[in-house]
Amino acid sequence: MAKTHSDTKKEAAHKHGDHPAAPMVEEVSDFEILEMAVRELAIEKGLFTAEDHRRWTEYVHSLGPLPAARLAAKAWLDPEFKKLALTDGVKASLAVGVDWINSPPTGFGTPSDYCNFRVLADTPKLKHVVVCTLCSCYPRPILGQSPEWYRTPNYRRRLVRWPRQVLSEFGLQLPPDVEIRIADSNQKTRYMVLPVRPAGTEGWTEDELAEIVTRDCLIGVALPKPGVTSNTKRPIHPAVHPLHHGH
Amino acid sequence: MNKPHHDRTHHAKKATGIGDPQCFKGEAGPAKFKAGDRVRVRDLPDIFYTRCQVYTRGAVGTVTMAVYESPPAEDEAWDNTEHPEWFYSVAFRQKDLWPDYPDTYPNDTLETEFSERWLEKA
Repeated sequence: MAKTHSDTKKEAAHKHGDHPAAPMVEEVSDFEILEMAVRELAIEKGLFTAEDHRRWTEYVHSLGPLPAARLAAKAWLDPEFKKLALTDGVKASLAVGVDWINSPPTGFGTPSDYCNFRVLADTPKLKHVVVCTLCSCYPRPILGQSPEWYRTPNYRRRLVRWPRQVLSEFGLQLPPDVEIRIADSNQKTRYMVLPVRPAGTEGWTEDELAEIVTRDCLIGVALPKPGVTSNTKRPIHPAVHPLHHGH
Repeated sequence: MNKPHHDRTHHAKKATGIGDPQCFKGEAGPAKFKAGDRVRVRDLPDIFYTRCQVYTRGAVGTVTMAVYESPPAEDEAWDNTEHPEWFYSVAFRQKDLWPDYPDTYPNDTLETEFSERWLEKA
């Protein structure tokens, strides 16, 4: 009989005394296994090749939030462009080099799957924040891959229910008279937030402005600040109000 | 048995170079609701698949705009794209979604989308 995995593990543990080697992979989720199975079937069936898959993966990982930051900076500087961004986000994206419709690999919107793109403009009395409670829909063509926390059930469940608590965990506390508007992107629209241009940026160029519009600002969990050009590390807290089923 | 042929690439053929949901434009007929209309989210059965969140069922909100036409998720999950519907973006007061939402923040709102079948006049 072939050695089982646990036999091999025991032997390894024995060989190294009390210090068994750490596993190479901590955990493979069911979804990763499902993805591998579907991918391998698709390759066997000839729908695409392993080389295609590698190329697409590489393409998807080359995307980032810079075009969206530039879109925000442009909208701050040019009221006409802002009008276009608010009415036709897909068309406005072309100005920052993002073609939602014809982007590879499919030519109809992938890797974001759908291409109805809305830019949500904040005002001093209105703050937007984006979530997808059903999965993790995200405007990938213009923002790249979503951060890990955006995909967690914790963020997705709690943001719609306790937005003020969740935002304060990101260090964003807003006065009660500011309307928080959560955009739950669970159908075919993808959203980005156009924050209010912060004070202290008068006379800045588009390049300088784009630098302070971080990914977190574009999701809506942070506000742009002169001098801050990267996302802050998010502290991890246990849920204040743990989920009770059957509401 | 002679199975009718189903073209698995029909969606790709239709959407390439046009975009989804753009490729369903003009297929849903006249829109039933318009911006400003008060609507209630219906509590329809969803045995197999839906994208209509339970937390919105029964809540009353205001249509902010008719956004696009598309087959509803409940059909599209089964590759049925024959009956596109209008989709609407609807804004709710947080208090109307979560009865115990703190009164300190009466202005807070949430906006999300529904296909027409999920909405009724309120």
